[in-house]
Amino acid sequence: MSSRVCKTCGCADIDIDQARGNAVCMGCGSVLEDNIIVSEVTFVENSGGGSSAVGQFVSSDGTGKTPVLGSGFHTSIGKESRTQTLQNGKRHINNLGHQLQLNQHCLDTAFNFFKMAVSKHLTRGRKMAHVIAACLYLVCRTEGTPHMLLDLSDLLQVNVYVLGRTFLLLARELCINAPAIDPCLYIPRFAHMLEFGDKNHEVSMTALRLLQRMKRDWMHTGRRPSGLCGAALLVAARMHEFRRTVKEVIGVVKVCEATLRKRLTEFEDTPTSQLTIDEFMKVDLEQECDPPSFTAGQRKLRLQQLEQELAKKIDEVQGEICSYQDEIEMELENSRPKLKGIYASYTKEDTQDDTLSVASGFPGNEDGEDEELVAAAKHLNKDFCRELLSEQDEADSGAESGAESEQPTTSRQPPLASLLGPLPTAASLGLSDSIRQCIAEKEDEENSEHGELDLNGIDDEEIERYILNEKEVKIKTDLWMKQNADYLKEQKEKEERIAKEKELGIYKEQKPKRPPKKREPIRASTAGEAIEKMLEQKKISSKINYDVLRDLNKKGCSPSHQSEEAVTSPTSKRLASRRKRNIAALGLGNQVSNMGKRLKPLISGPTIKKPAGDQGVTSTVPTPTPEVSQPVVVESGPVVYEDVPDEEDDEDEEPCVSAMQLMGGNDYGCDVDDDEGI
Amino acid sequence: MEPNNDVALDIIITNVVAVFRTRCHLNLRTIAREGSNVIYKPEVGKVLMKLRKPRITASIWSSGKIICTGATSEEEAKLGARRLARCLQKLGFKVKFTDYKVVNVLAVCTMPFQIQLIEFTKNNRPIASYEPELHPAASYRIKNLKATVQIFSTGSITVTGPNVQFVATAVEQIYPLLFECKMAAR
Repeated sequence: MSSRVCKTCGCADIDIDQARGNAVCMGCGSVLEDNIIVSEVTFVENSGGGSSAVGQFVSSDGTGKTPVLGSGFHTSIGKESRTQTLQNGKRHINNLGHQLQLNQHCLDTAFNFFKMAVSKHLTRGRKMAHVIAACLYLVCRTEGTPHMLLDLSDLLQVNVYVLGRTFLLLARELCINAPAIDPCLYIPRFAHMLEFGDKNHEVSMTALRLLQRMKRDWMHTGRRPSGLCGAALLVAARMHEFRRTVKEVIGVVKVCEATLRKRLTEFEDTPTSQLTIDEFMKVDLEQECDPPSFTAGQRKLRLQQLEQELAKKIDEVQGEICSYQDEIEMELENSRPKLKGIYASYTKEDTQDDTLSVASGFPGNEDGEDEELVAAAKHLNKDFCRELLSEQDEADSGAESGAESEQPTTSRQPPLASLLGPLPTAASLGLSDSIRQCIAEKEDEENSEHGELDLNGIDDEEIERYILNEKEVKIKTDLWMKQNADYLKEQKEKEERIAKEKELGIYKEQKPKRPPKKREPIRASTAGEAIEKMLEQKKISSKINYDVLRDLNKKGCSPSHQSEEAVTSPTSKRLASRRKRNIAALGLGNQVSNMGKRLKPLISGPTIKKPAGDQGVTSTVPTPTPEVSQPVVVESGPVVYEDVPDEEDDEDEEPCVSAMQLMGGNDYGCDVDDDEGI
Repeated sequence: MEPNNDVALDIIITNVVAVFRTRCHLNLRTIAREGSNVIYKPEVGKVLMKLRKPRITASIWSSGKIICTGATSEEEAKLGARRLARCLQKLGFKVKFTDYKVVNVLAVCTMPFQIQLIEFTKNNRPIASYEPELHPAASYRIKNLKATVQIFSTGSITVTGPNVQFVATAVEQIYPLLFECKMAAR
């Protein structure tokens, strides 16, 4: 409290009484302030005799204008949308996180990411589930936990690429650099799932060494880490005499068999595969001291050998070009299926015009007719065809040809590099020429801005061919009409309908998104009939055996009584949902036979959507009891079932639909989180 | 880094997408009936017309907007578009050839070396992104050129951009970055 000077007497002596909230001047006695706002902690006495502080905790964000009247109003009233979103998000994160067994620290970090995403409006237009999953996966990546995006998509039943897109966007917007996935992280997890028992640790270590070997052999770039893990684990298991079939491994690792086999084949091509198990253990240890030199050195040696032999051959064979060309062609034909990449197209060309066609195809320039290029390409073609031949001759070791056929570009590296040396200017010149041409063309285009069609270069005759003559037109029309009869009928009906409505004057522009059409409430004499009618209306499945359904009705009258009592205690919403779920759990007919009459008010309860739902229920629970005494026909109201608009999707997705879904299963999903789950 | 003139990088253009407008309403049924090589899709509301000579496929909408895809060079795209307009003219529509624009160019290029993608992504964050679980290539977006380059570990790259010049510039820009992260020769 600032002590001021009294206005009347100028005295600076002011007495402030907190209890009364007054500020009084001691000199003249005039009251300067009344009802001072006090910010002190006050205490109130409890019923037990203890005292507690008065006040509420208010969060730092949010307006804090919630007047909590009484006890436990629904949290949705009076709170800002932002806090609601965050609360929802927190709940979902915790749910998912617990399913993934993430610790609290990770969950908090994920929630922070989510808060950042919300503040940057990244949740707009995206499903909450996707954003949450992306936040969680971001945490997994930054912390380095062995969770894959596939796990998350499994939990959410969402396409993994959709999740991936959201994740990438989130990472980019939040400027978070997720470190690259190391396949070694997944090994302990997969090893545990494959159940190696005591030897788990050893197998993991072996698999890790294999993975590191693969990394050094550059097998892991551009590949899914799970595929590599699978291959490593399979080999490690076999090394330690565990029989793990490919099927078991792919079940754990979630790649397909083809991928696993391919990885194994690639690994087979590396020199490490030639070592025995003991050697692998030993040599591996040595290599850990001296990593790249061993294989790199070997390879360098081999390359040097190749180059030497190449040089020799080039010298020897300089005079015999034609015979070599023939041989090349033969070899190319034989090895046609092996070659891949850009050079494969050459094997399909005519044998006669081999050089020319190759020349035109190779640089792929827009010019193509450049003399220099043709000459250069011919020269190039000769040399690398020779190279190809010589390499194929030399292909003694199977690995070499295998590697060559799979990666033709790599084995051609040394000769290409040397051959491309003398030829750079031709191609680069050609490229710049074509760019110049393109720019020149752009200037021409500006002439035809006013829309006149520039007819030069267009062959009218050819275009005539594109247009069918009358007879053909007729035939085609008939054919098309026959094919699309249904569509045309629909269109006609639509037009008639619109015309009619126009006449009546109630024609409305049909918006593409229509609200769900309200169906007539079903009137039925027994619950069983009601179900049948509802099912027919909803047209869910023609595969339901209605007889069995009817039988279900008659059985199980007793268990329903017990469940009723157990269920009356909790709150209204839960009541309704639990009763509904009970229906599904105990079979369609069980509950319905006795509960049909009770169901009616309860199911209509949530549709009325009163916040004081529990009052509604408690009032209706006594009312059905007098009704039960009139067993036969209930005329006092139809059984109104909630209509969920997106039911139609269920038809297409699964051929066999569970009973729960038949009863409008979409409602249950949101409630599963709240309840312990029946 | 090696200056670009010493290296012959052949950039092969595989697809050019262009759009133009005819400024007149087109009756799709007529086109579907009287044209050969046409596919009519009434649900979507367009007609696909394929030309043989410059091998292109065109999507024709009734509003007069036409998208032309499949050409292998910019002139080819222009030629094909004009051919198409001429064809529509012959069918009886008063077409005008306006607002011709090349929208997208896709080119592929092969580097003579393999590329270490993880290192490349580390050096070029956040412009480059690599997610092996989703796609085997690392993607690099060049904002000022509006071009995207997808880099595969085998050394092949695909470049998409708004026109050929930008595509060539993109390749020139990215070459030094790739050269830094090349793998040791096998």
